[in-house]
Amino acid sequence: MAQEEGQPILSEITCQEITQWVSAYLDEHVADERKRHIALHLAICAGCETYVKQIATVRDVVGLLPKAVKQPADSQRLRQAFVARAKRSPAGG
Amino acid sequence: MNVETSAVTESVSHRMVAGRKPELSQSAAVANGEVALLARLRQGNEGAFDELVTRHHSALIRMAMGYVADREVAEEVVQDTWMVVIEGLGQFEGRSSLRTWIFGIMIHKAKDRGVREKRHTNFSSFESADDEGDEAIDPSRFHQSGEWAGHWAFPPQPWDDQTPEKLLASQQAVTAMNRAIEALPRTLKDVLILRDVEGVETKEVCDILKITETNLYVRLHRARERVRQAVETHLERRPSAV
Repeated sequence: MAQEEGQPILSEITCQEITQWVSAYLDEHVADERKRHIALHLAICAGCETYVKQIATVRDVVGLLPKAVKQPADSQRLRQAFVARAKRSPAGG
Repeated sequence: MNVETSAVTESVSHRMVAGRKPELSQSAAVANGEVALLARLRQGNEGAFDELVTRHHSALIRMAMGYVADREVAEEVVQDTWMVVIEGLGQFEGRSSLRTWIFGIMIHKAKDRGVREKRHTNFSSFESADDEGDEAIDPSRFHQSGEWAGHWAFPPQPWDDQTPEKLLASQQAVTAMNRAIEALPRTLKDVLILRDVEGVETKEVCDILKITETNLYVRLHRARERVRQAVETHLERRPSAV
């Protein structure tokens, strides 16, 4: 990952490397030094800044998507089993 | 049933790499709304049981689908999971969260069922597929050589007007995202469903799936990237006037 001589200095990390760390970065699961490098890069790279925003949008939207299944097909049977079990062992033991 | 329960009982994996910013501790995760629910469950409160089922059923079905042949079998696996939960509640000691325990039972049952059906017999290769090997993003989007090697050749175009609300209001966008999620390999889908759909904390996802934190973020990012690509493709196809 070392910067080779003559490469443009956008920061020490390339965009391709940045993209691999985006999810961990958004969740604040990267080491301080890497976080600093990423933040520096994002400050001067519009492409990566856009990419980070898009991944954040995806993360937020996925949790809000309508859920198809709500209840088991045979929820009545499950409830009966739960009640029966509770009667057998009311204290939970 | 006890054998099955004990096989997955509250085993908390400690194989994680050192987290720089720990989230909720295990006990805090348990305390996170589950203690009161568990107490009501142990009292035989039907409402508590309905609440538990409603809370986790959708995610259990979606994850089970990754291990077995079809929806019907996934329903059976999750139904069986709930039966084990009902029988095992009395012995549950809360060393892991209730959710970790329940999802662990489901995965155990789903794997067992998947192997028995011989639909997904080669679990070991299936598990390792689509993990750390490839790049998350198509490498051709970056300069391959020259002084800009590794930097964007085709950067993403901003989604200026695409707030989460706006995306959710578009049926086509929702369909595109759902299709992308359903098409994910199981290892990626499990992580995305637990972390982003269900909002499970990182450490607990690692415990449920028995993977390291590093591994989790590789998978999670690959999954998010595929959904991002689906949104990107959807927006590119959209008439520009919209």
